[in-house]
Amino acid sequence: MNRSLPFEVFRYAAISLALAVTLVPTLWMASMAFKPIAEWSAAGADLTWWPKNPTLDNFRFIFGTSTSDLIVALDRTAGKPILSSLLSAVFGTLIAMGCGTAAAYGLSRFGSGKNLPLALIQLRLFPPMAVMIPVMIMWAFLGLVDSWWGLALIYGIVTLPFAFWLMKTFFDDMPREIEDAALVEGCSRSRVFMKITLPMMRPALASSALFVFILNWSDYLIALLLTTREWVTIPVYMASLSSSMTGQLYGAKAALGLIAAVPPVIMGIAIQRHLVRGLTFGALKQ
Amino acid sequence: MTAIHLENLVKRFGAFTALKTMDLEIRDGEFMALLGPSGCGKSTTMNMIAGMENPSEGRILFDGKDMNGVAMGRRGVGFVFQNYAIFTHMNVYDNLAYGLRMRRLPESEVDGRVRKTADFLQLGPLLKQPSAKLSVNILQRLAIGRSAIVEPAIFLLDEPLSNVDAAFRAVMRTELKHLQRQFRQTMVYVTHDQLEAMTMADRIAVMDHGVLQQVGTPLEVYNNPDNLFVAGFIGAPGMNLLKGELADCDRGLVVDLGALGRSAPLDPALAAAARANGTRDVVYGFRPERVSLAASGEGMMMPVVFVERIGARTIVHLGPDGQRIKAVFDNDVAVEAGVSVAVAVEPGSVRLFDAATGQCIREA
Repeated sequence: MNRSLPFEVFRYAAISLALAVTLVPTLWMASMAFKPIAEWSAAGADLTWWPKNPTLDNFRFIFGTSTSDLIVALDRTAGKPILSSLLSAVFGTLIAMGCGTAAAYGLSRFGSGKNLPLALIQLRLFPPMAVMIPVMIMWAFLGLVDSWWGLALIYGIVTLPFAFWLMKTFFDDMPREIEDAALVEGCSRSRVFMKITLPMMRPALASSALFVFILNWSDYLIALLLTTREWVTIPVYMASLSSSMTGQLYGAKAALGLIAAVPPVIMGIAIQRHLVRGLTFGALKQ
Repeated sequence: MTAIHLENLVKRFGAFTALKTMDLEIRDGEFMALLGPSGCGKSTTMNMIAGMENPSEGRILFDGKDMNGVAMGRRGVGFVFQNYAIFTHMNVYDNLAYGLRMRRLPESEVDGRVRKTADFLQLGPLLKQPSAKLSVNILQRLAIGRSAIVEPAIFLLDEPLSNVDAAFRAVMRTELKHLQRQFRQTMVYVTHDQLEAMTMADRIAVMDHGVLQQVGTPLEVYNNPDNLFVAGFIGAPGMNLLKGELADCDRGLVVDLGALGRSAPLDPALAAAARANGTRDVVYGFRPERVSLAASGEGMMMPVVFVERIGARTIVHLGPDGQRIKAVFDNDVAVEAGVSVAVAVEPGSVRLFDAATGQCIREA
């Protein structure tokens, strides 16, 4: 396509700006994670992009093995919060995807009208804060407070409408003929779903699961209200990385932030092929 | 190997009637084409035979057995979809094997039949390939193979050739016919392409606006269309249709074609039928290939509007506005746009239609 020069300049400027906004803070965090205390705490005095004396002290600190020149003692290490985040986000995603996919398939194939799907997505518009206090009371009553399974359950419930809506659009886009072709061969409806529909939906399932996982993984509010000590998650733990003596422990926070970025990045790379390709039903000519 | 009987079949979608009271008998082992323009109800009819849609009224009988309420998987039909509906997450082999495995055949027999079908459709070298990236022509064969491999008693094809290129379409027309001859299934073939219907079908059911217009062998519907729609739809180009009025003259009954003058006298039998029919307003129809150049002073003088030389033949567009006709001549015919020529219609080839009802006027 032939575009004019001013347009091309504008296009690249816009892309550069978007990249700068997202990448500069991330790179800054990555750099800070490897800086010793003297460098990250020297606010404004001597800003360097590259750590002058790179160190793993920040990582050692949050895992409680060495505190070199940090005189703060942590009351707990990052290990348990990472485990808590992983368990609650993974199982929350499984709940949301399992229920969401089943509901989406049913409503996409057999549902009539559009009020029910719309009602479901409207749950997403409800601010979580408005329901969290009642949920806290319920979870306390059920003994689910401060447990990863209690968190996983509420994560699954909160992200269910999102998973449902994503999967429903994918199911709506899948041509019915493919299922009809299997049904006409004598395949039962449930078998069609398991053997034909779900395998063909793998790219859709993967990308939806990634979005749901990221929502759960980055939650702060719910974990803050529903965990107290034993099963706090990474974001809640990160907020606690400060002390009256040192203020915010930016080096430690950056190290933890870098670790927290790993699972979504790994998942993203693993399903990149699907994300890029999107949904292509190669064999179908519309 | 099953006869299909459609009995007073009606299909409504809400307020819209897709199919109005269809009666059709498809014989055992017959190749029946359902032919008509988009939205004529042919696909709806097919979907009801397959069991994907339930009729609003009427019955579908397979060998006299009512199929109402029988799940599509239990009807013993094979279905080839217009968009092929290939299982893209499987390779070619697994696509072909799918129906056999659903019937729980031993894997050794599955393998044998997959290879046999693959050889027949020239898919042999592709068996291990993922099906997602195959070309349209291959997908088309695969779709036919996947349905044919279980040797269904009834084979339903929904516009299977509409997406493939012209050269391959010609190849597939002969192959499909060959396939059907070999297995003698009852085949129902939906198409909007009259050439496909003419070349392959034993009989053609022409449909329009949810109404069955005519059923007959390709030559029957071509030579003796029941009404104006069939006359115009079958044939490329379709039948020439000129409005006119019956008039008596000393040589017999003729059709007064207004500015074009009068037609040659009608055959005595056709003239008798026209008189018996009563109406004077008729449509004068004749096939483009039944037109010949005449000596000037004879036939109808018509201006040549446009000359299409398509190789084997030449299609000449003739006539004033509102009375346009087409004539098919030899490829080297010496006519040019702008001149006027005299044309004559072969006497026995004239068909008359009642202008009010559109029905063909025939000897009783």
